[in-house]
Amino acid sequence: MESSLLLQQIVNGIILGSVYSLIALGLTMIFGVMKISNFAHGDYSMVGAYVAVFLMAWLPGWLGWVGSILAAAAVVGVLGVVTERLVFRPLLTRWTDIDIIMVSIGLFILLENLAHLVFGATPRMLKDPFGGAVFDLGLFSTSQLRVFCLVFSCVAIAVLQLFLNRSRLGVAIRATSQNRFAAQLMGININTVYTLTFSLGAALAGVGGVLYGTLFAISPVMGAIPTQKAFVVTIMGGMGHMRGAILGGFILGVAETLGGNYLSMAYKNAIGFMILILVLLLRPSGLFGRRQ
Amino acid sequence: MDARSWRAIAPWAGLAALVVLPLVLRDRYLVHLLVMAGIFVILSSSWNLLAGYTGQLNLGHAAFYGIGAYTSALLAIKLGISPWLGLVLGGLVAACFGLLLGVPALRLSGPYLAITTIGFAEILRLVAMNWVDLTRGSLGLYGIPPLTPIPLPGGKSLTFTSEVSAYYVILVLCLLSLACCRRLVNSDFGISARSLRDDEMAAASVGIDVNAYKLAIFMLSAFFAGLAGAFFAHYQRLVSPDTLSTAETFTILTMVMLGGLGTLTGPVVGAVVLTFLAEGLRFVEDWVKMDVRLIIYGLLLILTILFMRGGMVGLFDRFRRPAAQPGRE
Amino acid sequence: MEILRTKDLTKNFGGLCAVDKISFSLYAGEIVGLIGPNGAGKTTLINLLSGFFPPSSGRIVFEEQDVTGFKAHQLNELGVARTFQVVRVFNKLTVLENVLSAQVDRRQMGPWELVRRAILPPRGEHQRYQKECEAAERLLEFVGIAQYRDEPAENLPYALSKRLEIARALATNPTLLLLDEPSSGLNPRELDDQITIIKRINQQGISILIIEHVMKVIMNISHRLIVLQYGEKIAEGLPQEVYSDPQVVEAYLGGDAHAQH
Repeated sequence: MESSLLLQQIVNGIILGSVYSLIALGLTMIFGVMKISNFAHGDYSMVGAYVAVFLMAWLPGWLGWVGSILAAAAVVGVLGVVTERLVFRPLLTRWTDIDIIMVSIGLFILLENLAHLVFGATPRMLKDPFGGAVFDLGLFSTSQLRVFCLVFSCVAIAVLQLFLNRSRLGVAIRATSQNRFAAQLMGININTVYTLTFSLGAALAGVGGVLYGTLFAISPVMGAIPTQKAFVVTIMGGMGHMRGAILGGFILGVAETLGGNYLSMAYKNAIGFMILILVLLLRPSGLFGRRQ
Repeated sequence: MDARSWRAIAPWAGLAALVVLPLVLRDRYLVHLLVMAGIFVILSSSWNLLAGYTGQLNLGHAAFYGIGAYTSALLAIKLGISPWLGLVLGGLVAACFGLLLGVPALRLSGPYLAITTIGFAEILRLVAMNWVDLTRGSLGLYGIPPLTPIPLPGGKSLTFTSEVSAYYVILVLCLLSLACCRRLVNSDFGISARSLRDDEMAAASVGIDVNAYKLAIFMLSAFFAGLAGAFFAHYQRLVSPDTLSTAETFTILTMVMLGGLGTLTGPVVGAVVLTFLAEGLRFVEDWVKMDVRLIIYGLLLILTILFMRGGMVGLFDRFRRPAAQPGRE
Repeated sequence: MEILRTKDLTKNFGGLCAVDKISFSLYAGEIVGLIGPNGAGKTTLINLLSGFFPPSSGRIVFEEQDVTGFKAHQLNELGVARTFQVVRVFNKLTVLENVLSAQVDRRQMGPWELVRRAILPPRGEHQRYQKECEAAERLLEFVGIAQYRDEPAENLPYALSKRLEIARALATNPTLLLLDEPSSGLNPRELDDQITIIKRINQQGISILIIEHVMKVIMNISHRLIVLQYGEKIAEGLPQEVYSDPQVVEAYLGGDAHAQH
């Protein structure tokens, strides 16, 4: 029984971790390319989740699900472009770390409270298109919705990897991330890359938000948590490193679920920070980052 | 009178105005707002010491505030220690935590430091929420004794239960901490601190022990925040885990940015303006039936950074002497 | 009198050996030129000597004291000052404050002492500050930028900010000054001024180790030369000797030939 409980927790952790990975990927991409640390990142997830809440009220079942993931990506992608243009772009030529972080905190406060105004404070839940159906594999069981969530995160991560490795634009993004100046010399239009990266990064957080909404309640203040997790994951993996973020997400997911069950439920949210502090003290460039 | 004697008189006139202010206002609620503004003056000035003068972005400042509040409150409730002593002890305990956070923070900067300090405050908030035996959890500590009366010759005593008396206490605390900040910034300690904000490597090359300076300022910054927290505990007589929340830190940093980062007067202006603006917005909220206060905070923060670098103080300076050099106190 | 000695000083970055078993001595009152092709490890050597990196192996002895592994600020307290290849002045501080920042006597000041001094002003602080200001102004006059004393340093033109860096280094009362390409990016007139300044610093008895590419400067001012290539010392001696050394000629020509490819 004991080992099956453990297995169950690990599976839950992996599912949670896949969502963390997805959201953190967006953050790390934006940081890698533009050196922007966006403390409003989790609010893109919040907006994405609300898109799902409203779309699913219209379109029931499967269609609503697929539709809301696509719609969340689109809406949040546009929101990403808007915020990048209005808030971050004017700072790019004369920024300091403090300015960028402060302005993103301003954006966080703004988005959270706008959402509060528009959507109200009542937490919402997403409907389960599988009617609560459960996969029971003997050793562990999990709802079909969660499996769907895991599969979809993994598909999204894979598609993103394909895009970054195979498409022209994706390669341009990676090139800019490695050396902005050289990329410019090679004729890459850096402004296009910036806008695209930001929008893509935000969209990933938006999609992540829909999936996050399958696991937790949706409310205007939910954004702070994905932001924190995404930063923990991103730093764990080395800021700007895609693979690090993916692995880091799964590690955090599993560590939190196990820690929450075996150590203390009350301090579940502290586990990520503990790991973060350990990583920063022992390997400041991240678990998978190159040593300086 | 010529300009010179005006300049000599101005601070005393200002002080006199501050002393008379609550007597003129005669409105308990307005005086209460002044007290809250005073608390935020200390909080934002101490945050500014770290962020504005050494460039370290501490997003867990509210943790020091909360530590000071809980320390002094618990000492008074559980051990019966005088709240006056509690003010100092609250500051000292906060300074110890400042050292605790300051040591790992030495190796971090930018987003790394920002998220680590958020984590620090968040962990402490969870402790305050969950260590119910000690802190009563999310209910918070209530029944905290007010500052004890000071006996006067002639059998009377000074009591500190009214808003007006609290106002005078916080006024003294504000003046003390501002005097200390001013000294810090204008002494050679301050020049060294500002030089390491500009370039740590060059600072080390001229003999500045970057780590020692950062730790010293971390501790001082935490001490003042703890002091403000301890005062708050005995004034409000209720402390909840919300005092440690990141939202509280965000209010502080909005004040500093609005007033002017890296200036002495900026945080003071920001704290007073935002405290009273918040109250003004409360009337607006009643009128439009919407929660717009925090939306305005967010907008203010963004707009300040985008269009008003240097904050209100910077704006005023530019207005007063359009061709003057930037960056001088 | 020998003031600096290194023994088998080595610095590895990952697999790359930037400085490889360098041993040399520097004597009081000398100007020693450090030359070599790009990437020869000159700046790394200066960074080791000024405590910005700990060496991977080998020893540094400064004024009879083993200072291997000392931090930058500790070495500065002992009397090693430096400038940087790319100017690093304190941009937001005024020119005068830049020099003042370097002037404070910080011996034995840990965080506690700093906190104490921050809250309780040490006795006679005001007079000391006056004296520091006067000394700082003399240094600014020495390098010829006194008229800019209240400008923020970021407003200084490049050539003058290089001089400010020198004034700031001198403010720490060094016995050894490490100059990392003090004349890069200067026009011929500024170059002459720079040479004069360096010579006058040396006349005050300060030993100088200088990295330089400009032949005119290096031949004009150095008493001795040390040549590095691929992190190793390949020659050492009087300027004329070194320049006729076939190995040095080879290194430079070879280095250039590599660069052509």
